[in-house]
Parts: sequence; structure tokens; C-alpha cells
Amino acid sequence: MTNREQPASAPVPPSRGRIAERLLPGGEEPDPRFTLANERTFLAWIRTSLALLAGGIAIEAFTSDLFLEPVRKGLAVVLLLLGMLLSAGSAVRWLRVERSMRNKAPLPVPLIVPLLAAAGALAAAVVLIFILWR
Amino acid sequence: MLALVTVSAIFLRWLPQHGLPILLLFTVSAGTAAGIYFTQRRRYRVSSHGIRKERHDADITAVLWTASAGVILGALGIGVVLIG
Repeated sequence: MTNREQPASAPVPPSRGRIAERLLPGGEEPDPRFTLANERTFLAWIRTSLALLAGGIAIEAFTSDLFLEPVRKGLAVVLLLLGMLLSAGSAVRWLRVERSMRNKAPLPVPLIVPLLAAAGALAAAVVLIFILWR
Repeated sequence: MLALVTVSAIFLRWLPQHGLPILLLFTVSAGTAAGIYFTQRRRYRVSSHGIRKERHDADITAVLWTASAGVILGALGIGVVLIG
């Protein structure tokens, strides 16, 4: 059988790039609306992370006459650390959801939600104790 | 993008206290905001074509870059608070 007689083969999907092939291997492209929704969720987490970063900077920069230095620095570090973890966690979450959608698997449980809730409660408790103690 | 611009403006508030190293934080934040601003039309076009063709590749580079910017800003911010 010559090449001319061969049946038309399935269309070859366009290359997705090396990083995408490595981090999102296998499966098939999900509905584009789901991919874009996943990206929007990621951006919402990034906004939260940036708000925490801005809050950490603001506490350190603007509250020198309100808080003692150790409290001020501690709160700023907690907020900055939380913003940093949330930023990394949002990328991990995006990747896990994208992998699940590609493989038609159940979506993973969000790990950054309890992290954010616990850290927020901790920061609020520190401020509350400081206000009552002051 | 606007959140990054806001954060970069707040970083400038640290300039009198911590000096020139703050410009690094400002540059990372403002640079990321500028990157988002100057690529938003292309990304919008790619996304809308993706919906129309029922096929859209996940923009993994943009996700990794944005998340890295947040991590770098947080790490540098902690460094400034503790050392500066």
C-alpha cells in the first residue's frame, strides 16, 4: 500500500510547548470555558495574595505609633508570609485542577482554603489579644 | 494588574525608611503589572478564539510568572521587615 492509498490519519494536535507538556502531561484539552474559569479562580487567589502583601507592608509602614515594634513586625511578617504562601498555593491549585480536568478526574480539595482561614484567625487573635492587653 | 500597581505604590512608602533596595520590589511589582497590561489584548484575543474553536491551551507560563512574582515580592518584603 502506498502512501497515497493510506486513509487520512487523525489531525495532529498542535504542540503545547515544553513546559506545558512537562507539567500537564497526558489527558486531553478540557472545555476552554473550564480552563478560563480555572484561570479566573487563580487570579482571584492572586488578588487576595496581593492584598495580604499590601496589608503587611502597610502595617509595617503606617502603624509605628500604634503597635509596639515586635507586634508590628510580627504581624507584617505573618501577612507577607501568608501572601507568599497563597501566591505559590494558588499556582499549585491551578495546576492540580487543570490536571484533573485534563484527565476527567474529580477536582482536588482546596488546601489553601484551610490555610488562609487558620492564618486569618491567628492574625485576628493576635490583634484582639493586643487590643485587650493594651 | 491594578492590584500590582497599588502594591508597587505602597512599596514606595518604604523608600524613606529602607532606601534604594525598595526600588527592586517596586520594579518587580510594576514590571509584572506592565507585562500584564501590554499582553492583555493578545491574551484576550487568544482566549476568545479558543472559545470559538472549542480548544484553548492553558497559559501555564503566565500562571507561573504571576505566582512567582507574588512569591518573590513576599520573600523580599519579609527580608526588608526583618533585616531593613
